[in-house]
Amino acid sequence: MKFSSVKRRGFNVLSSLLAVTFAAVGLAVASSSSVAMAASGNSLVIGSAVAPPSLDPTSNASAAIDEVFDYNVYQHLVELDPKGQVIPVLATGYKVATDGLTYTFTLRSGVVFSNGDPLTAADVVYSLKRAVDPKSGYPYQSLVADVSSVSSPDNSTVVVTLSHPDNQFLYNLAAYSNGIVLDPTQVANIATNPVGTGPYMYQSQISNYNVVLVANPKYWGTKPALSTVTWRYFASASTMDSALQSGQIQVIDNLDNSQNVSLFKHNSAFKVVHGPTNGKIDLTINNKSGPLKKLKVRQAISYAIDKKAILKTVGAGYGTVIGSDQVPGDPWYTPSVNRIYSYNVKKAKKLLAQAGYKHGFSLVLTLPPYGYATQAGPLIQAELAAVGVRVTIKNIAWALWISKVFEGHQYQLTIIDQVEARDIGEYGDCTYYFNYAGCKAVGTLMAAATTATTSAKEISLFRAVVHKITADAANLWLYNPDQLTVADSNVVGLPGSGLTESFNVSYVSIGGSVPAQAAAEGFSS
Amino acid sequence: MSADESQLSPHHLPSGGAVRGQRGSRTLGTSLRRAGLALLPLLRRLATMVVALFGASVLVFVVLNVLPGSPAEVILGTQATPRAVQQLTAQLGLNKPLINQYLDWMGNLVRGNFGVSYISHQSIGSQIGQALTVTGPLVLFALLIGLLIGLPLGLAGALRNGRVSGSLIGAMSQVGMAVPSVVAGLLLIVVLTVKLHIFPTSGFPGWSDPWQALRALVLPSFSLGVVEGAIMSRYVRASILEQLRSDYLRTARSKGLRVGQALRRHGFRNAAIPLVTVVGLELASLVVGAIVVENVFSLPGLGLLLLDSVNNRDLITVQDIAMLVATTVLVLNLLVDLSYRLLDPRLKGTA
Repeated sequence: MKFSSVKRRGFNVLSSLLAVTFAAVGLAVASSSSVAMAASGNSLVIGSAVAPPSLDPTSNASAAIDEVFDYNVYQHLVELDPKGQVIPVLATGYKVATDGLTYTFTLRSGVVFSNGDPLTAADVVYSLKRAVDPKSGYPYQSLVADVSSVSSPDNSTVVVTLSHPDNQFLYNLAAYSNGIVLDPTQVANIATNPVGTGPYMYQSQISNYNVVLVANPKYWGTKPALSTVTWRYFASASTMDSALQSGQIQVIDNLDNSQNVSLFKHNSAFKVVHGPTNGKIDLTINNKSGPLKKLKVRQAISYAIDKKAILKTVGAGYGTVIGSDQVPGDPWYTPSVNRIYSYNVKKAKKLLAQAGYKHGFSLVLTLPPYGYATQAGPLIQAELAAVGVRVTIKNIAWALWISKVFEGHQYQLTIIDQVEARDIGEYGDCTYYFNYAGCKAVGTLMAAATTATTSAKEISLFRAVVHKITADAANLWLYNPDQLTVADSNVVGLPGSGLTESFNVSYVSIGGSVPAQAAAEGFSS
Repeated sequence: MSADESQLSPHHLPSGGAVRGQRGSRTLGTSLRRAGLALLPLLRRLATMVVALFGASVLVFVVLNVLPGSPAEVILGTQATPRAVQQLTAQLGLNKPLINQYLDWMGNLVRGNFGVSYISHQSIGSQIGQALTVTGPLVLFALLIGLLIGLPLGLAGALRNGRVSGSLIGAMSQVGMAVPSVVAGLLLIVVLTVKLHIFPTSGFPGWSDPWQALRALVLPSFSLGVVEGAIMSRYVRASILEQLRSDYLRTARSKGLRVGQALRRHGFRNAAIPLVTVVGLELASLVVGAIVVENVFSLPGLGLLLLDSVNNRDLITVQDIAMLVATTVLVLNLLVDLSYRLLDPRLKGTA
């Protein structure tokens, strides 16, 4: 029949086209499977969730910039080791005068920047003065506001004078970008070509996609084991997990969804390295909003939440339940405070009744777009419902969170990881978004605590602050999350904690060994 | 043309020097007028395009500036004290009147200068250029795959209309359309990369190694293209079916042509008009689809740049990308319109 021949021809066209398509795919498959997948022996790719929005840690607060550039490319006079201790780096040592006002640093000799410029005391003075100058806009400038002068009496000494004693000065210099030592001749290019004295130097970047560091051949210390370290950024956590499983990357700096650790935990091809961060995942309370003004209401909320269950579900158990703005890394850490509001539904209901809310009330919980917040939100909603508090959840973008919640104070409850180390001073800031009524009293205590010149006095005063904000139930502190690093099992020397903004790769190697001193400082073997 | 006019045309006048001269000038005038007539719609279209782009630029600018959350706040993050925000806003020039900010931006853009990012302090032009080396090939490959799947499938569906195999093809394309490209992408990743290690799961090595670059684009192009192919097959099928049912094709068949011959000689050209429209529109939607696929496969393309720029409130970068996409869509529409005239001579001279 005429018709059938037409149809056969039509079908021939179709089938030949399909055949060509499949042949092309098959060809690609066959030839590509012969290409070796393994990464070369001394280059490493680290997967991470948030790409650095800029290359300049001195103009942007994004932790993603510090993660790559701090300690790895830029160094400080003093830095933090993975155990959170202050260690001398570009300084060989320092002396603190007994009045707590003068810090004298001895500069390490023979240090050069990666471009070959030698490090001088004048460079350090320039860098610290730049950090102190309000016009240069360092994100953590307020932490060095008490520096009154920086000078170099000779070429191997730098002297910093404070206007009042500050026992947190060294820690802050080590922990934040204020302490970065710059090459003054390269500052004009700081956003496009960072130059530092660190073990690695900047090579290239594709915006929102990767940053490539290479070993600095002029490095003054132990030469790094890797020739190239690349940070790759993934918008999708499951794509990042797949990339590690298929060998495209060798490390995930910190699992976005802690539950996914089960993909790697019982597989001998991978290792899990975890340790504390400075973060406090808080149910932050607007102390000025409606029923939340009442102490009994805030206390009731504190009793109504089962923090252990939240840590187990949201953090997969990796972390420590806390009861105030304190983490195990703080010198004034007091574990007993964590038990003040242990989970007690009956007590919560009683407190609500006493506060005049026998039949409960309604609240809005505003959530930023982070896994821990969006996962903990519904749990908290359910637990508060059990004591009669009806919670409506509102999810918003990060820029909106900063603008509405943080700047505008337009919120009742939110969940956020307060990541900065030793940020308890925020409770003494009456303009801060907690709207905490006890801010003035805490401010006075904080001033006394930070200017104390003996460590015993310092610790007891900080403890007083911890007790005060806990008694006032200023916020609900849920847990201190661990940094949860997953890597190929032969990767060694990873930082054993998240106590530094930097993801310090100085001692990382593939199948190498970790120097004993680095292991003592908390780099994992 | 009326009969009177034709009677007055020079051909019917007696020949003579003066008249011949007159005739020459009239011919010149006519051809100019003809050229003008052909150009006029094009010029009108171009003018419409400029007006549309201006409208788009105002809209994009206003929407982004109304959006809560300023670049200064995002840069400072949780260090955003009111004083620091105010200072940084002034430093970035964001405290200038909006109209000045708009004019600064447009002034630069019309001169081909994309500006410098508030956030990264780097050239936006080079960032967009780099992103286009990924998104451009991705969209083209996806379109190609879409056509390779959609055309034969649609044709077969139309020819087998009313039979079981035809319904099967129809059902297949329905399923294809229903699968979001994210899901398609994730499935492809799990099967072909994590389990079989055939393709890289994600990322893009750059064109310095063209073979690896192509390999990296295979899965993303497929997850975008398969869905596209399903959509196109529906249009192709509908379009061919319409032609098969038309009178002229029946006439052609009655002349003794077989269905295939009739379609080839008369049908395809007519069926192509709606298809060209669809391809033009789909190219625009592929650019949008690329945003999602680039996210899943972590490709450093325009979509990823756009998304991160919105999140960081990198306003000028977002504005630039929006204008680039708007311009591309308008130019594509123009090309589609022009191609109608090539395909269908009856449309010559109409806008």
